[in-house]
Amino acid sequence: MCQKWVDHRPEVDPLTGAVTTDPRTSAASAADHAALEWGLRMVEGWGGELLVATAGPAAAEVVLREALAAGAHHAVRIDLEATATSEEVAAGLAERLAGADVVLCGDWSLDRGSGSVPAFLAAQLAAASGLGCTVLALDPDRPGEVRAERRLDGGRRERLVLESPAVVSVEGGGTRLRRASLAGVLQAREAAVEVASAPPLTPSRPPLRIGPYRPRPRSRPAPSAELTARERILVLTGTPADRPPPQLLVLEPAAAADRILDQLRTWGYLL
Amino acid sequence: MPETFQDFDAVVVGAGPAGSTAALVLARAGRRVALLERGPYPGSKNMYGGVVYGRVLDGLLPAWWDEVPAQRWVTRRSTMVLTPTQALSVDFRTQAWGSPPYNGCTTLRPDFDRWLAGKAEEAGAVLITSTTATGLLRQGTRTVGVRTDRPQGDLRAPVVVACDGVNSFLAKEAGLYHHPEPEHFTLGVKEVLGLPRHEVEKRFALQGDEGMDIEILGGTGPVPGGGFLYTNLDSIAVGVVLHLPALAASRRRPEDLIADLKAHPAIAPLVAGGDLKEFSAHLIPEGGYEAMPGVVADGLLVAGDAAGLCLAAGLWLEGVNFAIASGQAAAEAAIEALRSGDSSAAGLAGYRRRLEASFVLQDHKKLRRAPGLVLSERVQHQYPKALCDVVEALFTVDNPAPKRGALRAARAVGKNDGVRLRDLARDLYTMARTFG
Ligand SMILES: Cc1cc2nc3c(=O)[nH]c(=O)nc-3n(C[C@H](O)[C@H](O)[C@H](O)COP(=O)(O)OP(=O)(O)OC[C@H]3O[C@@H](n4cnc5c(N)ncnc54)[C@H](O)[C@@H]3O)c2cc1C
Repeated sequence: MCQKWVDHRPEVDPLTGAVTTDPRTSAASAADHAALEWGLRMVEGWGGELLVATAGPAAAEVVLREALAAGAHHAVRIDLEATATSEEVAAGLAERLAGADVVLCGDWSLDRGSGSVPAFLAAQLAAASGLGCTVLALDPDRPGEVRAERRLDGGRRERLVLESPAVVSVEGGGTRLRRASLAGVLQAREAAVEVASAPPLTPSRPPLRIGPYRPRPRSRPAPSAELTARERILVLTGTPADRPPPQLLVLEPAAAADRILDQLRTWGYLL
Repeated sequence: MPETFQDFDAVVVGAGPAGSTAALVLARAGRRVALLERGPYPGSKNMYGGVVYGRVLDGLLPAWWDEVPAQRWVTRRSTMVLTPTQALSVDFRTQAWGSPPYNGCTTLRPDFDRWLAGKAEEAGAVLITSTTATGLLRQGTRTVGVRTDRPQGDLRAPVVVACDGVNSFLAKEAGLYHHPEPEHFTLGVKEVLGLPRHEVEKRFALQGDEGMDIEILGGTGPVPGGGFLYTNLDSIAVGVVLHLPALAASRRRPEDLIADLKAHPAIAPLVAGGDLKEFSAHLIPEGGYEAMPGVVADGLLVAGDAAGLCLAAGLWLEGVNFAIASGQAAAEAAIEALRSGDSSAAGLAGYRRRLEASFVLQDHKKLRRAPGLVLSERVQHQYPKALCDVVEALFTVDNPAPKRGALRAARAVGKNDGVRLRDLARDLYTMARTFG
């Protein structure tokens, strides 16, 4: 399973956009923790061993030790700069994870991740992919088969059945990583972490040109000075003014719940 | 991993300055020591005003100043007395504090605590983070270890050193807290405001890595307490220390009181345009010598803020140096007890003796009257106002009237501001006995 060491509280300079990160506030994300928990449940249910991998600098080993403390069996760090692209990260991880029945990842990393590492990994491992899952169901009698649920637009969900080899990425919301025992924490301090170098990558063809998106300014007539500031902003931004006004309803809890469900249906979030 | 991996010679709870020092000293003596910290890294949970007086480190970490993660070295120290519209400062600067062996530095706790805990780890202490001690393991009345919030989380050791900070739950559980009343505590509230480095230097007349420390009396409105303003490299820390029962009775919000201090005409230009980076609050054990808890029990020592060993006495707000010295004394007493195989209260009694022999208890004893005096209505409101009025009268040029002498001005102001000579004489006498 894969863990990413990422700053949970980076500082962004409001003028230059420069991002400053701090190793002290860097750790695995909630999604990676959820993935680790599912990995631990898999080996508990199916047997086998859990290998935890990260791609990053030496400081990233804290996430591996955390996973070892919680119950992972082996750890490997692919020595890569924090600035490596998703493709490079996936290539580095794939070499070490080839042969795994199931590879688990968080759905996306906190540093504006796009969730593409698991997708690249699935491609490189020629594995089935189930990305962005909310919950997994594991049948002890069918090792290697993952039943997963994930969200779709409009409030709908879908169910997937994946056979190994598979890459599964999970959301951080619903699953909490177990608390490591004190013995686990003490043992993980001393445990060996393998360090591997990333294979050289033939870069995929970059786009011909990349530049910032700067739409041309549009000139609009100044709104009437008679209008209030709010109304002037509505006119300038083109926000529909005839939007139904917000309503304040005072209802009994049961009636309130029904009303909310009705409204969600009207908006298309529920079928 | 041996079967007995959970067994240590000592368990130190809390990787603040007291705990890390205790762990450092124990580990250097070859003892197996676990240093428990509830935060994800030492210092992550900790706040204070901002100045560490490092002389206490000379013996432990020679030339500590080459390594300590200092923001600035304090070369300018100012004591300010405020009324809503007046300010009187005694401003002192010495270049002697700007070079080794220095006097005090501003430093951020996440940096400083991590650095000190790192020293303990280098010496062999086992730092266990994200782990909270939830209680004492007891055999009868004897402490034999701690429980933690992790599964199978008991840690056994002949000596536990509780360095878990103010309002120590461990010391309370051992029955050592005899004075838990709120009147013995103040609430410290602080904002860290980001300012460009050159702006900090311009506003506080500093150069290079020089720093400034301002202690403020009379800037906390209706609540007895004090204020402070410290310079970091590219930020400043501004805060107030508020007497707890009075704060509750005043129904004022601490952040409003900081806002009032920041709006004071003498402070506003110093903090203007600062970008709020951090807001934090923490209790301070301000009761002094009289309110100190017990510090030794069977198998248990209590050090630092947990033992109420923070010197918060008007001119001084020092806790880190007291925490370091008491952590060191606790570790030395523990080593002695472990050597003799007696970690009962009698075997650990060397701790109290060490504290008595050092500045830790000597300063507290000397300043035992300070908390009551500093937090009294007269020192908080009446005297600042009278002092400022005398100086105003002295420096106001009201020709064609001839100049009034200082004594005449003082007499007039005293009468106006309701200062009674009898009270003043008594308070001056107490001040002389306390601070003299
Ligand atoms: C607003 C304010 C301004 C101050 N200004 C100054 C100043 O300028 N200079 C100065 O010298 N002093 C100052 N002090 C005082 C100083 O901060 C303290 O005296 C000092 O930090 C005490 O150190 P300590 O190690 O005893 O406790 P702490 O620094 O409080 O450390 C206790 C540690 O124990 C951990 N902990 C607590 N409970 C548990 C548990 N159950 N299990 C595991 N870990 C636990 C905490 O996370 C923490 O790391 C100030 C205090 C305040 C509040």
